[in-house]
Amino acid sequence: MKIKSVFLLSALLTGLLLHNFAVAADADEYKAALTKAQQTLSDAETKVQLWSTSEILLKDAQEAAASGDFELAVKLANEATLQGELAVATAEREKKIWQNHVPK
Amino acid sequence: MKRFLIACFLFVAMANVYATPEEDRLALREFFAQRFPDLDLNEMINGLYAFDEGAREQWLEMEDFPPYEIAIEQGEEAFVVPFANGKSYADCFENGGMGIKQNYPRFDTDSGEVITLEYAINKCRTDNGEEPLPWLTGELSAISAYMAYTSRGNKMNVVIPDDPRALQAYESGKEYYYTRRGQLEFACENCHMQSANNLLRADRLSGMLGQATHWPVYRSKWGETGTLHKRFMECNVQVRAKPYEAQSQVYRELEYFLSYMSNGMEMNGPASRR
Repeated sequence: MKIKSVFLLSALLTGLLLHNFAVAADADEYKAALTKAQQTLSDAETKVQLWSTSEILLKDAQEAAASGDFELAVKLANEATLQGELAVATAEREKKIWQNHVPK
Repeated sequence: MKRFLIACFLFVAMANVYATPEEDRLALREFFAQRFPDLDLNEMINGLYAFDEGAREQWLEMEDFPPYEIAIEQGEEAFVVPFANGKSYADCFENGGMGIKQNYPRFDTDSGEVITLEYAINKCRTDNGEEPLPWLTGELSAISAYMAYTSRGNKMNVVIPDDPRALQAYESGKEYYYTRRGQLEFACENCHMQSANNLLRADRLSGMLGQATHWPVYRSKWGETGTLHKRFMECNVQVRAKPYEAQSQVYRELEYFLSYMSNGMEMNGPASRR
């Protein structure tokens, strides 16, 4: 019984420690995700028209990070990155086919 | 022989890709003639009211006391007020600025830029030491409305001079019009050609022909008179694309193309829309 309690206590402490490490890692992960998103959108905007939603996502990500919700912040920043990439992909595809829609 | 065939193929391919602006305009009219065989295409200067008889009747009744009338009066008052240096808007434009809207946008071969009427109005101000006016609504829109009013009945006459930069500007505007963009991946063409006369929720979509003849417009949803670039920005937002600045090069070139497509159609601005 005593051994069992010690084991449970150890597991709990380990869990708490891991949780704290995870939060620290999320903060770093958020910074990396935000930098990537900002760079992606900045690069995309020199070439194509961005989605109107992308910069809102970045702002939301920053607000989430400020409130300590790094998991959400990372998710939003990654979504902004994806939107920037999709805006470029659409533009590249359209460059090849827009002429098809012009009446001849 | 092989080279000759390749050259012939390239020639045909290039001719197909690079239609002249006039060929584009005629092909566009033919497109709408086939889509709406019973419609007088010149009616398309009235936007959705060319298609929707019920809405047209309401609109015609509204035209008895048009909501843009105040903008015309304010525009006229602002137009005649001299600048601090004694000059006025009339000094900046041919024919004193009266009855010239149909010639805009025009391509300025000196600067290599597309000049819209609103751009020219603000340039007139800055050239005479005045502060530029906000682009979207207010005094600039009112002056433009007044100048449009003096041009009513004239025929749209946008010119693409023999200058490769002018043709490039036209082509850029054309590419923009037919390119899908934004989160919803809509091109201008998707709404105003493919879906013209269809309902988008409760709103009937206007067709592309004649879309440039009647600006500025008093829109009920705006509650004021605004410029074409305000509408461009709104269209971008509606398809979830980040709008460009009003009077940006992109929008000016888009207006250049759009206006050329309405060449020969009657100027009827300012107008009112839902």
